[in-house]
Amino acid sequence: MDPTLVLQGVLSGLLFGGVYSLMAVGLTLIFGVMRVVNFAHGDMMVWGMYLALLLSTRAGLDPYLAFVACAAALFALGLAVQRGLVDRIVDAPHEMQILLMLGVALVLENLALVAFGPEPARVRSALSTATVWLGPVFVDVARLVTFAVAVVLTLALYLFLFRTDVGRTVRAAADNTYGALVIGTDVRRVYAVAFGVGAACVGAAGALVSPILPFQPATGLSLSVASFNIVIIGGMGSLLGAFIGGLLVSVAESLGAVFLKPSLKELFSFSLLIVILLFRPAGLFGKRL
Amino acid sequence: MGPWLWLAALAVLLALPAVLSGYVVTIFILIFFYGFLGQAWNIVGGYTGQLSVGHAAFVGIGGYTAAMLSIEAGLTPWIGMFIGGALAAVLGAIIAYLGFRFGLRGFYFVLLTVAFAEVCRILASNIDAIGGALGLYITFTGNPRQFQFQDQRAYYYVALALMMAATGVVAVIERRRFGIYLTAIREDEAACEALGVNTFKYKMLAMLVSSFLTGIGGTFYAYYLFSLQPSTVFGIPLSVEIIIRPIVGGAGTLLGPILGSFILTPLGELSRSYFGQGGMYGVHLIAYGVLLIAVVLFLPHGAYPYLTRLFGGRPRA
Amino acid sequence: MTTHRLTRRKLLTTAAGAAVLGFPLPLRAQPKTFKVGAIHPVTGPLAEPGQACRLGAQMAAEAINAAGGIKSKGGIKLELLVGDTQTKPENGRVEAERVVQQGAQMLLGSFDSGSTNAMVSVAQQRRVPFLVDIAAADPITANVAKAVREGQQKVQYVYRNFPTGSSFGRKAVQYFTEIFREAGVSPKRVVPITRPASAQLLLPEIRKQKVEILGVVSPGSPGLYEAGQIAALKEDLEYVMASVPWPNFKNPKTKTLAEEYQKRSGGKTFDTNSGYSYDAMFVIADILERAARLDDPDTIVDAMRKTNYTAGLMQYGGPILFNEIGDNPNAIPTMIQILGQKPVAVWPKEAALQKFVFPRPKA
Repeated sequence: MDPTLVLQGVLSGLLFGGVYSLMAVGLTLIFGVMRVVNFAHGDMMVWGMYLALLLSTRAGLDPYLAFVACAAALFALGLAVQRGLVDRIVDAPHEMQILLMLGVALVLENLALVAFGPEPARVRSALSTATVWLGPVFVDVARLVTFAVAVVLTLALYLFLFRTDVGRTVRAAADNTYGALVIGTDVRRVYAVAFGVGAACVGAAGALVSPILPFQPATGLSLSVASFNIVIIGGMGSLLGAFIGGLLVSVAESLGAVFLKPSLKELFSFSLLIVILLFRPAGLFGKRL
Repeated sequence: MGPWLWLAALAVLLALPAVLSGYVVTIFILIFFYGFLGQAWNIVGGYTGQLSVGHAAFVGIGGYTAAMLSIEAGLTPWIGMFIGGALAAVLGAIIAYLGFRFGLRGFYFVLLTVAFAEVCRILASNIDAIGGALGLYITFTGNPRQFQFQDQRAYYYVALALMMAATGVVAVIERRRFGIYLTAIREDEAACEALGVNTFKYKMLAMLVSSFLTGIGGTFYAYYLFSLQPSTVFGIPLSVEIIIRPIVGGAGTLLGPILGSFILTPLGELSRSYFGQGGMYGVHLIAYGVLLIAVVLFLPHGAYPYLTRLFGGRPRA
Repeated sequence: MTTHRLTRRKLLTTAAGAAVLGFPLPLRAQPKTFKVGAIHPVTGPLAEPGQACRLGAQMAAEAINAAGGIKSKGGIKLELLVGDTQTKPENGRVEAERVVQQGAQMLLGSFDSGSTNAMVSVAQQRRVPFLVDIAAADPITANVAKAVREGQQKVQYVYRNFPTGSSFGRKAVQYFTEIFREAGVSPKRVVPITRPASAQLLLPEIRKQKVEILGVVSPGSPGLYEAGQIAALKEDLEYVMASVPWPNFKNPKTKTLAEEYQKRSGGKTFDTNSGYSYDAMFVIADILERAARLDDPDTIVDAMRKTNYTAGLMQYGGPILFNEIGDNPNAIPTMIQILGQKPVAVWPKEAALQKFVFPRPKA
């Protein structure tokens, strides 16, 4: 095996992993606070991608700027889904929560199909053809920027949760809903904020990845599954875990494609998931948010 | 409801094909088939509360086993279906052993089952001996020995028999101590253990029965649709199809999966035949998604518990 | 709660009532039209090609009707009953049953081989002649032919006007070899890209990593040349070659139709999917012209077997006819190349509109 190829695989995987991380951070935030699994996560991300496409084709906005608007739009969507739907079933049986989110996913996917058609799409960015060579390996500038923005956004979220009052209440509610109620927290508001921020994360991730990854309305499912993987591997409800997990899974898939057949690369991440579930079910960084 | 009502309902179902058109018979076949798969899932997902979203894997293993045995060894699928069911149960045992031994619950168990099904899908797509990603194609002969029927109505009775059999199994389980333990595990596993119930054993048993039955369903799938592709028989969409009907009908109730299938299957067909004609592709699936959401919001415990309450029956256990 | 209860009950009874009453009932045979069930995946992962197929079939039906319908049968018009498989085999079966119920006397479909094979069983069970417009898996027709040969089925109702999976591979290799010889190069390795998804990932990487290659060739899996792919991959697809079933643009009729198709589809290229579904409708019209009577499926099958149709818009290796398996041996792929961001036929020579560019120019 050519060591340069392996190095290149690691680097490409690592840079792409930034988006995986951001996507998983969104999922883990929603789960950590509400104990609700967002089966529509990938479909929300696809909407982030399509919004970036719209802004690029209609307003000429580069996705590396448009991600802010996409995050804002998805925040609103997340808020609406939480207030209108999830809020009413927080205490319902698990299977009902899954059913609800599956319904939301189906609606989102097919709304995209009606609105944008089935063609695979990709957003053009001025950066998407630029590369830089670092010795024997090359660095894709688009991926580098995607990675950098994703890391900055995760850091910002971290600061929000640990340095602001709203953020602290979110964490408190995640730790102990009952306790938060006792001290007079408006738990419903906290839930709404968490769901909105989680959706905003995945919306930004969608916009950031839209120049790299071609997408169509049906892409959501595989993205949801990838997010679940990462969150379990990193540790459910752990921000740091989701972040590291995203990088790990991305590198693993990238190397899987190098060492095995490309069609077997997912086998890598699923096997990793099974091993983690069995031997460290709390995940690599499995403490609470 | 009394036994006479049941017999009457059964008599109606037995007589229906005589008056129904081929299309409606097809829809009934799917109602029964998904009612059967939902009932099989109900044992572990409903009564025991261990949410598996990987049941497609059992359909796939069962279907591939019966089809390969028939194609390669000439074994009739009537026998192959039980071998397929047994192999599915072996996989079920592996998943359950790992999941329950390591104490995976709730969402963690959901993901373990998804991951196993996905691993099966990827492996099956890469094994050329069983057709690879293209899949297996079964010759239509209409020969009953090969689990095939020239007359559509024969499939109707086979599917009805499957659903009745699975419901019978569940009814027996429900009345025995086994069933009571399963429900108790769903409601409060820790309390069960404290009372000395071997919860691991009962969860394992539930998964074994459930995966065996689901594996049998794989043979029906293969010989009703005449092909098996890894992406369809092992895929997450099929797992989702399997779980939504019992959840809508009422998970953990005897009639929930059947009721759910009687509600969702025709509504899915209706929305497709009405909204699927125009130029707005996808509208029928939006309608279907809205329907699922509406069920959760308005019938948060499923349709069957709601109906029993409505007609003054006993509340949900 | 009490206020809600009534509405909910009402809602439920309405839903149940709809379930009982609402199925489209068989419309008793109106003698004015001949109904063809056209079933394709217009939602789900294969929605793009499926929608192209549906539009192609619809445009063909309109053209046939505008030209006076089936003339030998008193100008009877064709009516399409469309169905959606959502790319799930079970829906291939359900939708086939539905359109047959609604009076479809022939079936057309259905792109993915799983749904198509599910439709085969309906065709054979209910004796409805089925023309496969697109689906590549060999067993779809071969299995039926075998069942008939072994006496397990009386009549074969399933025929296909599309290259089979195995012929795809054979032809692709033949074309590659011929092109390499013509270009005077002998590549050390040929690495086929088979799935659009892999192409979408690989092609940009090839460019970014500045891999030195002679060219990129695809052995002909669906998707690469579709308008959406070109829009998504842009210059990465330039010079890429694919061996695919392709319209014969040397035919002026194809050109006119391609322009009309572009208008109707919102700017899409008339290609494999729309083209084969379009041709299939015309083959059906030709069969119906020649069939002794339209109310007996076996006479339609007789006419189908004797098909010798030369006016197809796709690139064929001869007239459209059906061999003993039920396949058209003259349904062949064409080597196309993306030149100037448009797919252009480059091989075999008699089909070529431009000379191929191979090896590709160095970036």
